[in-house]
Amino acid sequence: MRNLKGNFVSALLLLFAIAICFLSALKFLSMQKKEAIFPSRGLTSRKMLSSYFPELKKTWGDTDVYLYEGQEKGGNLLILGGAHANEPAGFMSAVLLIENIQVSTGKIIIVPRANNSGFTHSQPQEGNPQRYSLESPWGRRHFRHGSRLTNPVHQWPDPSIYINPAGQKLSGADSRNLNRCYPGKKTGSLTEKIASGIMELIKKEKIDLALDLHEAAPEYPVINAIVFHENSADLAALALMELQIEGFEFRLEASPLNLRGLSHREWGDHAQIMAILLESANASHGRLKGKTSPALIVEGKDKNYTKAAKLGRLFVPYDEDGIPLKLRVARHLAAVKSILSNLEELYPEKRIEIKNMPSSSELKKVGIGPFLNPPN
Amino acid sequence: MQIVYHLIVFYLTCHLIWCLFREKKFWNQVSVALVLIMFLLRLFLIK
Amino acid sequence: MVAIFVLLAMLLKLPIGISLAFSALAGSLLGGEGIGLRHLVEGSFGYFDTILIIVTAMIFMNVLQASGILDTITSILLRTFYKRKLALLLSVMALIMFPGMITGSSTAAVLTTGALVAPVLMKMGLSKVKTGALIAMGGILGMIAPPVNILVMIMGGGVDMPYAGLTLPLLIIVIPLAIVISLWLGYRDIKIIEYEKMKAILPPSYSKKYGFRLYLPLIVVLVLMLGQSVLPRIMPDIGIPAILLLGSLIGLGCGRPFNFFRTTQKAIQQSIPISCILVGVGMFIQIMTLTGARGWILISFLSLPSGLLYLGIATSMPLFGAVSAFGSASILGVPFILALIDKNAIITSSALSAVAGLGDLMPPTAMAGIFAAQVVGEANYFKVLRHCLMPALFQLIMGVAVLHFAPFLDKFI
Ligand SMILES: [Zn+2]
Repeated sequence: MRNLKGNFVSALLLLFAIAICFLSALKFLSMQKKEAIFPSRGLTSRKMLSSYFPELKKTWGDTDVYLYEGQEKGGNLLILGGAHANEPAGFMSAVLLIENIQVSTGKIIIVPRANNSGFTHSQPQEGNPQRYSLESPWGRRHFRHGSRLTNPVHQWPDPSIYINPAGQKLSGADSRNLNRCYPGKKTGSLTEKIASGIMELIKKEKIDLALDLHEAAPEYPVINAIVFHENSADLAALALMELQIEGFEFRLEASPLNLRGLSHREWGDHAQIMAILLESANASHGRLKGKTSPALIVEGKDKNYTKAAKLGRLFVPYDEDGIPLKLRVARHLAAVKSILSNLEELYPEKRIEIKNMPSSSELKKVGIGPFLNPPN
Repeated sequence: MQIVYHLIVFYLTCHLIWCLFREKKFWNQVSVALVLIMFLLRLFLIK
Repeated sequence: MVAIFVLLAMLLKLPIGISLAFSALAGSLLGGEGIGLRHLVEGSFGYFDTILIIVTAMIFMNVLQASGILDTITSILLRTFYKRKLALLLSVMALIMFPGMITGSSTAAVLTTGALVAPVLMKMGLSKVKTGALIAMGGILGMIAPPVNILVMIMGGGVDMPYAGLTLPLLIIVIPLAIVISLWLGYRDIKIIEYEKMKAILPPSYSKKYGFRLYLPLIVVLVLMLGQSVLPRIMPDIGIPAILLLGSLIGLGCGRPFNFFRTTQKAIQQSIPISCILVGVGMFIQIMTLTGARGWILISFLSLPSGLLYLGIATSMPLFGAVSAFGSASILGVPFILALIDKNAIITSSALSAVAGLGDLMPPTAMAGIFAAQVVGEANYFKVLRHCLMPALFQLIMGVAVLHFAPFLDKFI
């Protein structure tokens, strides 16, 4: 009899565990549905990353590639957003470009979710929301806020120590960090395959210049930064001067020679292209963050960071107004614009001309919403 | 390697369920159930 | 949240893991986040890999016991060292540290070679709790020692410091500590014994009966662990859980016969309390981060005047280790390296890893302490922790001293 009762409680607890699994699974799995992006009329074609590297087909690493080709020949530019899916300014900048631009000269290729798998889960113990939303004239648009790393369900297990394709020793979890896996490995892990796919894209599309859009915590030294490979030192320096005239403070950082596996290092070394990485400051990224919410991501106001700034612990100014997403995106787009205008100065044959580029000053004023397209 | 780890998790999940039914004390059973949640979610490749 | 935890754990005597889970739930409700089921479950996943290591290590340890390997090794060590105290202590320390050095995990050390040497130390006169303390400290030192120090890797990952050039600074910290701590805990109590007496306490050796294959599980585990750190391009990195389980399966045919399922079941039962604690801690951290409590604690430590910064490091990092040493390295280690950015990051991170490593002695998780207590058969792990206090203090002083003299050490490294 007692045994029976014991078994009854056990069965009940098992059902309880299954119920919790089911309820939380609904939430976890909801992240697999990707948000729609509504491209501008300037879009000339749309491909998948697997069309450059077929191994990625039918994996969670396959991702959308948007191509904008001008009538006239010029330079070829790659813009990568979402290499880290918890850095919304990189992803949103790519989305805004996709939904607005037209290219008349040269070619622009945009990958908004470079690590697509990263968008399908959240990092444990970071307390991040799964989504944030923006008001547009056509209603609210929701976007996923993913993780810095590939989903462990898609790449499992982590090695104890990760030695990346460039030979650097890293902690095991970094095997799922796309921006440590370049130049990729065709027979490697999913993340290394994604890196290979991007290298293939760079080669097959004859990319001249590639920009990798990121965000980082305000207490991180490489912040509000233009990180350049030595191939693009002149370009980065000229762009910086122009940005400063426009009132954007950036710091210029040379890509360290001994830090391997990062986009700005390996793209330049292995594909001999000009490679630049941009960072903006995102409080929801940092360890000091206060209450974590969609508002923190979008509005970027955080009392802890205001305090940390006063203590001199930060590498960016941070006041009561915070650093909102619209400003972070505006900074990224201003940098893209000034890099392109200086590309023309330095290499006229690599000219790239864009129409309908969202203006940074407008963005700062009216926000991101008005630049989003109606659903179609 | 993923298959190996999938099998490991499957083997351990079975043992956890078995343990849940053998354990006598209520709070120990609850402890097993809490750990079991994670193993089930990984077993079905959800999280 | 902390108050609710204390109430549940102390007054109602609920298991620690469950108390943590309930206080996380309460924190979520009070923070206006509702039940936050997704957050609670997600938080626990921060320790999924750790739990896999713990459970498989526990299986391996039980296999070593059941197959008679443990007894055999004990008898060999006893025969070799019964009249050499210093050699015994130092080689035992090195043995305990070894798996930690190559895996970067104190658990792996405590539950493998720690379990091997425990009977020897106890038979030579060291008390149960002091043996436990020695094993726990050895595991922690092994975790910090080169070639693999995951704490430094985690901190380095946060500040973009490559994992290179750490061998020397880590050795400077670890070698003196290993010598001092093993002597401090063991030199007075370990007795040199007569041959006859030694004979009497010698456990049965199975090495004649099963020959070389008896050692196969240990050899396979050590070779695979060593291989993935020394010859990473040739040896596949199959991860610690798979290595330990493979070793356990090999153990099935190498010594005394035993029932593998029953052994697994026993191991699962032994690992439930710590696994459940980790689940609870994971939920707790997720909710602390969600509600902003984590950030508030951090900013409070960073607001300390710079003179008190060392004090802040010396107290907060081991305390925060209650959520595991790795958590402490990630959450506190990175901001502290940034706060000390004018010093050599390699030396700073090495010293901080020595301080953060102590987190594995901090209850409620106290992974090194709990497993060491289990290895020596002590039910109350606080008794083991008490004897870790002085050695931990040595390590803390060493860490802070290296931090302070970093500019001086910089000239030599
Ligand atoms: Zn990033």
